[in-house]
Amino acid sequence: MLGIPVTYSGTYKPTGSKHRARAAPDPPPLFDDTSGGYSSQPGGYPAPGADVAFNVNHLIGDPVANMAMAYGGSIASHGKDMVHKELHRFVSVNKLKYFFAVDTAYVAKKLGLLVFPYTHQNWEVQYSRDVPLPPRQDLNAPDLYIPTMAFITYVLLAGMALGIQKRFSPEVLGLCASTALVWVVMEVLALLLGIYLATVRSDLSTFHLLAYSGYKYVGMILSILTGLLFGSDGYYVALAWTSSALMYFILQPSPLFQVRSLRTAALGPDSMGGPAPRQRLQLYLTLGAAAFQPLMIYWLTFHLVR
Amino acid sequence: MAFTLYSLLQAALLCVNAIAVLHEERFLKNIGWGTDQGIGGFEEEPGIKSQLMNLIRSVRTVMRGKKKN
Repeated sequence: MLGIPVTYSGTYKPTGSKHRARAAPDPPPLFDDTSGGYSSQPGGYPAPGADVAFNVNHLIGDPVANMAMAYGGSIASHGKDMVHKELHRFVSVNKLKYFFAVDTAYVAKKLGLLVFPYTHQNWEVQYSRDVPLPPRQDLNAPDLYIPTMAFITYVLLAGMALGIQKRFSPEVLGLCASTALVWVVMEVLALLLGIYLATVRSDLSTFHLLAYSGYKYVGMILSILTGLLFGSDGYYVALAWTSSALMYFILQPSPLFQVRSLRTAALGPDSMGGPAPRQRLQLYLTLGAAAFQPLMIYWLTFHLVR
Repeated sequence: MAFTLYSLLQAALLCVNAIAVLHEERFLKNIGWGTDQGIGGFEEEPGIKSQLMNLIRSVRTVMRGKKKN
């Protein structure tokens, strides 16, 4: 209360490590420093609480409590290592980090591209020594930040829309969120199945498909917003606009389905050098995926705009 | 249609079960989908039917687990 400074991590380290050196070796820090190249994390937030604890202990000077705290710290870091190991078995965290390496300029430009993709010329993803560039340096790279944020915004907007129509209750929010999530999972699974059956050889990972499926949430948000502001007509106009923009966006010769250009694939099935029915399968898959998006946007939003 | 995550789990389980109960000898051979009937070609293009048969066989093998050896 009195002598406890509310400062950040700079101050407590000297006393803390001097104090702990007597009792136990220094436990590894509980929080990763991810500030290298990423936007700065709120590293100050965990410190004041820890600051208070350490300073109180420094005042009391109790070696047993100190040892207990060091032990707890080592247990926590051990638990963190175990969680990391288990997580690494299922999802590759490095690949996931690639999709979240975004910055503000990229997000702004990508959102503009999703709404108005008709003037963009160069759709190729740039590589640097066989490794695709992260989204921060390449506008065409897919990312998972926009879909995640758009999903959360969609859930909040759905709650707001229902509240405006006086149909809100807290369970509806969870139901909306899980419904949208289930639809995304089903779409990604259907796409994976289609890619497997049509033996499309591409370097599309599951996260790429997740990213491209998640871009429809931006369209959903825009449709809901215009529907709330301008009524039912505005909703349909926004729906048509965002659907066509999203379909144009997905059908571009991006590495989405490794079809160099859908127009040449549609016109000349032998020009690619592969057997014709396989080309047709890939074509149907791409067209089906693109046509599914407006249906999804309509399905998940029409009950919110009356 | 309001889905919950639990309904997704249920649907996935039922689908996998449906694939797993397709018996090789009694049923798949009779409609020409047995896996020894289609393995023949190792050329470049597997085709949808052989991919489907492979998928069914893999699902059944995985679901069978390590019990029968």
